[in-house]
Amino acid sequence: MADPHATTPEATSGAHGHSHVGRYAVVWIALLFFTFLTYGLSRLHIPGGWGVAVALGIASAKGALVALFFMHLWDQRGANRLVFVTSLAFVALLVGLVLLDNATRFPLANPPGSEGALPVGGADAPPPPMTAAERK
Amino acid sequence: MSPSPASEALVPQRTYLNAPATGLRSWLLTKDHKRIGVMFLVATTVALFLGGLFALLIRIELLTPGPTIMDAMTYNRMFTLHGVVMIFLFMIPAIPSGFGNFLLPIMLGAKDVAFPRLNLLSFYLYLIGAAIALYGMVHGGADTGWTFYTPYSTTTVTKVTPILLGAFVLGFSSILTGLNFIVTTHTMRAPGITWTRLPLFVWSIYATSVIQILATPVLGMTLMLVAIEHAFGWGIFDPARGGDPVLFQHFFWFYSHPAVYIMVLPAMAVISEVVCASSHKNIFGYKAVAYSSLGIAFVGFFTWGHHLFTSGQSPWDAGIFGVLSMFVGIFTAVKVFNWVATMYKGSISFTTPFAYFVGFLFFLVFGGMTGVALATVSLDIHWQDTYFVVAHFHFIMVGGVMMAFLAALHYWFPKITGRMYPEGWGLVGAVLVVLGFNFTFIPQFLLGNEGMPRRYYSYPERFWPLNVASTAGASVLAAGLVLILVYILISLRWGPVAGQNPWRSRGYEWMSATPPPPENFEETPVFTRGPHEYDDSAEAPPTPTGEPSHVP
Amino acid sequence: MSPDAHPALAHHFESLEKQAHAARLGMWLFLATEVLLFTALFAAYAVYRYLFHQTFADASRHIETWIGLVNTIVLVTSSFTVALGVHRATRGDGKGTALFFGLTVLLALVFLGFKAVEYSHHFQEGQLPGRYYTYGEVTGPGASLFFALYFLITGLHGIHVVIGMTVLTVIGIRSALGAFSAEYNVPVELAGLYWHLVDLIWIFVFPLIYLI
Repeated sequence: MADPHATTPEATSGAHGHSHVGRYAVVWIALLFFTFLTYGLSRLHIPGGWGVAVALGIASAKGALVALFFMHLWDQRGANRLVFVTSLAFVALLVGLVLLDNATRFPLANPPGSEGALPVGGADAPPPPMTAAERK
Repeated sequence: MSPSPASEALVPQRTYLNAPATGLRSWLLTKDHKRIGVMFLVATTVALFLGGLFALLIRIELLTPGPTIMDAMTYNRMFTLHGVVMIFLFMIPAIPSGFGNFLLPIMLGAKDVAFPRLNLLSFYLYLIGAAIALYGMVHGGADTGWTFYTPYSTTTVTKVTPILLGAFVLGFSSILTGLNFIVTTHTMRAPGITWTRLPLFVWSIYATSVIQILATPVLGMTLMLVAIEHAFGWGIFDPARGGDPVLFQHFFWFYSHPAVYIMVLPAMAVISEVVCASSHKNIFGYKAVAYSSLGIAFVGFFTWGHHLFTSGQSPWDAGIFGVLSMFVGIFTAVKVFNWVATMYKGSISFTTPFAYFVGFLFFLVFGGMTGVALATVSLDIHWQDTYFVVAHFHFIMVGGVMMAFLAALHYWFPKITGRMYPEGWGLVGAVLVVLGFNFTFIPQFLLGNEGMPRRYYSYPERFWPLNVASTAGASVLAAGLVLILVYILISLRWGPVAGQNPWRSRGYEWMSATPPPPENFEETPVFTRGPHEYDDSAEAPPTPTGEPSHVP
Repeated sequence: MSPDAHPALAHHFESLEKQAHAARLGMWLFLATEVLLFTALFAAYAVYRYLFHQTFADASRHIETWIGLVNTIVLVTSSFTVALGVHRATRGDGKGTALFFGLTVLLALVFLGFKAVEYSHHFQEGQLPGRYYTYGEVTGPGASLFFALYFLITGLHGIHVVIGMTVLTVIGIRSALGAFSAEYNVPVELAGLYWHLVDLIWIFVFPLIYLI
């Protein structure tokens, strides 16, 4: 967060012309459009993980619109942008590494009945067949 | 704390201690960062002695195999309280909220922190959190350990909820302090203090604050989830309802491992200042020391999984976390080498702060090396949950943080009070603390390696001799701490007047009067050199423009 | 501090400009902590959705998607009105700010009203967290977890809506009374930022809970 210009006064948000109101209206309409779009796409039941990807992609686009224009990150100084981006990076860090853990665990260590756990029947069920790598 | 008549000539007439007013009310409602810092110091010192008392009781219980002075349940509560008090009430707030509050604005040439009211709120949140946690301790206590692992913490009959709530509130206190420090560092630097002229103390505290901001909210939410689960059984971490107890450990250590750096980075902050002032020499490799603080803060976030090696975590995650954990060693080593290099060809005064620096260096290196060993997955499986781990983290936390706390206490005692402590007694105290500490925890390394598990009130007879040695060491450590408390309290009233800069330090904080006036500097100072520059062989400490010299 | 300084300028700041910058940076740091407060819940959601993805998909089809859609529209619109309110403040129009903030609070009430309808529906159906779960149509491990996370996420968000309403009401009244001007309106701006964050979080809650 080393921002060498942090002490120099800089143009801040909100002191611009009437264009701001127009910009807000455009963003609002875009947000409504994306809301209906994501709702509509969810009715199509896109198979596989793509439904999740599309929904989260649209949500990210909406979030970016709110952060950049409603919250004025578009015309704000570096430190404030960096703070927000950093917080998002740490969200990704926590979610990512925790998910990776659950996805690659020894089956007994996941909650019973869940994806990646042993099949129903628990520990008494026959173990999954060994892969070639494990057999070595 | 008012100056005695004989010395009034040397002490500034108007200091933060007597202006704008004296009296309890003016302290409790103050917005002066220095007074808030002093109140934090007093409160955290009380917590230190409370936690120390629990530690002594634990060691007395372990003096003999089998029950000595308490039963198993009492012992379980005792080590939980020891952990909660020491970590949440002493180590996390002591240096940042205490010394950091006092020094950070002065080191930046500012009049106060950016949000003084928030600062006071942070202190009261600390008190409220401490009160809630202490209420839980008095009324039943908890027997979960300070880590509150599920599913035990969600099913125990002890009163875990108030302690969780207390820790939640303490977290907010920590967040507010960190927020304040970041904004202060960004916006309130006096003219001339560029980012590469920030005192190293400020760099480290800044890195600490970043961790406090990013990690503490996750802990708060996690503790709330445990409390909800304990009270209502919502099943978030309950395997019977599909929940995953290991997920709790992920969340908990996502905060609590970086929290180790919340404790250690401020200690490194203190040490960087003390080593320069004691060696009368410019820091070796300013940028390396400064940026390694940020490096530790950053990498510290990628290591939490090394607490889960034996918890059922996937081998993939364990491998990633094991390797990433070792990177912390690199940044720490950078600091250690730079501190040692700073001493080279310096003109060292072997004062009490320096004695603690020497102790700190030994403990940090020893504790750090065992940490790297513990981050090795295969070795960790042998040492997990033994006294080896206990000894390792006490080397970092007590050996690192408490040494630095004591170094800071002695180094800035004249700045805070305007008086000196007795140097001879100071060295005696330092020797007692360092020796006592070694005798307490080196036996625990040996015990752990032989397989003595942690968190039991009893042990087989073959562990007896080393446990006696450890308890004996703890008694010496306690005696040293009591000695320090006694002479510090006496020096508050009767210590000799320190003068403006007793250490002939070049640190920015010594440029203001000692003790500082309420607004720190008579007028905004302009800084024309770095904070650790001893090279230009100036006879007298330079004064900022417009500030009359107080040097006799 | 010179005698002709602005009354809102605190003694330890040089200028109103610097003070505003400090306040803004502090607010962004606070918003970062808010994001990370929700992160634990989102991470838990991610893990359990991965572990029980079929159950989660089934459970998500047994809640009222249209309420989620309407509430999204309401919140997005309220973000728009807040932005307009903040814009009025930069023009020194305190009354305009109060009007738009009042409108926002009304929209927030609509949001909470729909939320209440939804919650009472869940209570009737037994779609409740953990040990209280009695809903018959979605069973199996993980079903009660979906509703535990549903109530935790929407509940925490709801608390933020209430806090945001309180802040907007106080700042709106102060605006109407002329506490702010074109030069000094940082509190209005910060209140707006908080409300936008509440909206931002909902933008992610909506697809996660209702759509996928």
